[in-house]
Amino acid sequence: MLYREAGQFKTTYFSDMAVFRLREDRTGLAVVVVAAYGLAFVGTDFLLQAVLIPFLVFSLAAIGLNILTGYAGQLSLGTGAFMGVGAYSCYKLMTAFPDVNVIIWILVSGLFSAAVGALFGLPSLRIKGFYLAVATLAAQFFLQWCFIRVPWLVNYNVSGALDAPLRTVFSIPVVGATATSQARYIVVLTLVIALTWLASNLVRGRIGRMWIAVRDMDLAAELIGIRPLQTKLLAFAVSSYYCGVAGALMVFLWYGGAEYDVFNINQSFFILFMVIIGGLGSLIGSFFGAALIFIMPILLGIILPALLVPFGLSIGAETIEHLRFMIVGALIIFFLIVEPHGLARLWQIGKQKLLVWPFPY
Amino acid sequence: MDILYKAFVEPFLFMSEAPDLLLQTLWEGLVSGVLYALIALGFVLIFKASGVFNFAQGIMVVFAALTLVGLYEKGVPALLALLLTAGVMLLLAIAVERIVLRPLVNQPDIILFMATFGLTYFLVGLGELVFGGSPKEMIADALYLPQGTTELTLLGGPVRFQHLDIAAAVIASIIIAALAVFFSRTRIGRALRAVADSHKAALSVGISLNQIWVIVWFAAGIVALVAGIMWGARSGVSFSLQIIALKALPVLILGGFTSVPGAIIGGLIVGVGEKVGEFYWGPLVGGGIDTWLAYVIALLFLLYRPQGLFGERIIERI
Amino acid sequence: MRPPLQPNRDTDNTLLAVENVSLRFGGVKALTGVSFDIRKGEIRAIIGPNGAGKTSMLNCINGFYHPTDGRIIFKGEMRRKMRPHVAARGGIARTFQNVALFKSMSTLDNIMVGRSLKMKAGFFWQLLRYGPAIEEEVAHRKVVEDIIDFLQIPHIRRTPVGRLPYGLQKRVELGRALAMEPDLLLLDEPMAGMNLEEKEDMARFIIEVNQQFGTTVALIEHDMSVVMDLSDRVVVLEYGRKIADGTPEQVKSDARVIDAYLGVAH
Repeated sequence: MLYREAGQFKTTYFSDMAVFRLREDRTGLAVVVVAAYGLAFVGTDFLLQAVLIPFLVFSLAAIGLNILTGYAGQLSLGTGAFMGVGAYSCYKLMTAFPDVNVIIWILVSGLFSAAVGALFGLPSLRIKGFYLAVATLAAQFFLQWCFIRVPWLVNYNVSGALDAPLRTVFSIPVVGATATSQARYIVVLTLVIALTWLASNLVRGRIGRMWIAVRDMDLAAELIGIRPLQTKLLAFAVSSYYCGVAGALMVFLWYGGAEYDVFNINQSFFILFMVIIGGLGSLIGSFFGAALIFIMPILLGIILPALLVPFGLSIGAETIEHLRFMIVGALIIFFLIVEPHGLARLWQIGKQKLLVWPFPY
Repeated sequence: MDILYKAFVEPFLFMSEAPDLLLQTLWEGLVSGVLYALIALGFVLIFKASGVFNFAQGIMVVFAALTLVGLYEKGVPALLALLLTAGVMLLLAIAVERIVLRPLVNQPDIILFMATFGLTYFLVGLGELVFGGSPKEMIADALYLPQGTTELTLLGGPVRFQHLDIAAAVIASIIIAALAVFFSRTRIGRALRAVADSHKAALSVGISLNQIWVIVWFAAGIVALVAGIMWGARSGVSFSLQIIALKALPVLILGGFTSVPGAIIGGLIVGVGEKVGEFYWGPLVGGGIDTWLAYVIALLFLLYRPQGLFGERIIERI
Repeated sequence: MRPPLQPNRDTDNTLLAVENVSLRFGGVKALTGVSFDIRKGEIRAIIGPNGAGKTSMLNCINGFYHPTDGRIIFKGEMRRKMRPHVAARGGIARTFQNVALFKSMSTLDNIMVGRSLKMKAGFFWQLLRYGPAIEEEVAHRKVVEDIIDFLQIPHIRRTPVGRLPYGLQKRVELGRALAMEPDLLLLDEPMAGMNLEEKEDMARFIIEVNQQFGTTVALIEHDMSVVMDLSDRVVVLEYGRKIADGTPEQVKSDARVIDAYLGVAH
């Protein structure tokens, strides 16, 4: 009797429109959030720095792409580049105005990415589906070229790479070599929670419905008065904003510096996989997808060699990397066959089953 | 004004002053255009027959080339290795049909597209696992591909023609012609086109979808093998070929997804466009613009004509 | 059955006038020189054999197709190359022959989308889902619930419409069109594929919408008994040309209409 809808009556439309309509869901969320903050104090450096921070960063990027592809139905292969725009603009802002709180610059850098995203979203009015995907490749390769060829972006730095200068929040270092993984983790976690909350507000309201309408049937959406261009551009802008912030977080709070190459096309694909495996059009799915695609290979790297030890076999890091590719590829196909709607759908089915348990329906 | 002069006048002056250089650039553009077209053809084949936008075509090119070179390095004679690689492509086609396409039949296009992403990653991992990730030399000699260059004096200057490039252009043209005949003249070709129009209708007149899919994926595999040999001989066999193969996408856009002549013309436009652009305009902005020029050309073109050069005009219905 | 409206040539009463409209796709002529008008508050039927150009006519009226020739005047204003979303803003709502609902959304959300045009809260309020955004959401939810009650579909409120049977989908689609509070409601075969009971329900809804809210309705329908009972005036198309126009009685006895439907006697 842990999870029941019975007895929870909604007397106003307001309460009926809450994200979590069930008391149990709300409690569950609270537990997860508290546990996530708790991990900052009990987790090891490896767990925070190599597992949780990247997981959160990828989740945020996946939410960004999910807004565009999952909600508004516009396929994009330029995610990596839009993340790059966020990272490079954050670097410029941060070094040009070193006294301003770095968190503000991280949030502002997303706006630059949003503007670039909207610009490359313009063709979406005339171009649809696969054609649009190729158009976004233009963004990917053009922006990546800019990252290499415009030295101004890295302040004419000889290495051509982004570095992370020391920046503090409440005099605690959060960016730069001296920042502890604990501080970084708390910043990333807080930003991801806040941005996820905003995204969930957006997709449940008028704008979210308009996006889904355009995705499900753009012609019909236009016939009920939705302006297709504005709606799609807004999706491009919001999506790129999230990707841009994720990019800035990735470089300055995870890697602590990076080269243009981290924003390459493989990064775009990687995030697309997270969205597909997690579930198109589901925010929680973005987290599931990021977990599966990012954390699974790490586990694999730990488990596989351990499994082979009893047989006296050892396995090189390179081979694990190759196996990782194969397994990710196979998983994508497997999930598409088993559940084209992704992990989010499995989650939903599971919850439904729990709701009526022990009866089948 | 200076920048306008440099962008709109100087390159053309340069072209007219040194027509031999222009000719050389055009020739190189044409050759890579033919090879782009060859990769694009693989996409078109599969898209026509199964409506699947096969993202894995690029990796199939690399995978085929790797298999060929890998077998040769393991001591298999070159021609036998070629046959065996063709066999591997057939096995791949069968496996794809069995494991990927059959369970996903009747799913939306986007799902099948994503599945080919999965296939791409799988093949990258498999290729590296079996043959290692380091770049390899294509066995051009053992396959009797011509080497060397002919230098002709044309338009007042020396213009070099690599024999390999000539061979590539000839072989690609033969394959393209053969495929065109195959599509329009043979029973299987007609069946393929029927399947492309409507899966259900094709089934109802007794065409086996599964068989057709194996055939097109195999054909696309062979096209990928040829493209892999040619590209490999020009720039080595490594996974960076995949990025080259991605350029087949703007080619497809220019030509329209379903048109064989479109793929050829699109390939030539992209090949010539990016070589000329890089040679004459690249230095203005620091070079390296051939990484994105093709996509931008395709993008601008799409804005003007969303259905491609040879695609049918879209009449939207509701 | 309702008494037909008195024929009235008063132009002030015309909501929409179609003048000499032609539509070609390449060599195919979908419509040739069609003219008719729709008056405020009436139920206007467009009938004709298959391929007569009825749906093309509706597509022209709400800006989905642009007539190759002729003009369409809505509320006294002529618009060239009007985009569909502009037509929607002007007060033209529409349902489709093959239901065009947003399949993954619930009934509630589908009808809520119809309210999009009426919702004004800005992006940043939406982001916070606070203040005007949530007030507006609640207010419009009430309207949508009223529509759901009116159409008698409260039980499918949360069902994704893709899973609903055809008859109910048509009803939801009508709900979405009603949510736009249109001046002119275009219904493309609202009763196609329905059984008798569903047809009766749908006919009742159309009449109620017309009489209670004063919404002008233009509908395409194949079921002649429905057309004759429901409509004030009927326009008949054949091969893209208008062959008759008038009250159901007039049209029923028109020789060309009888020929078109029964075939010409040889």
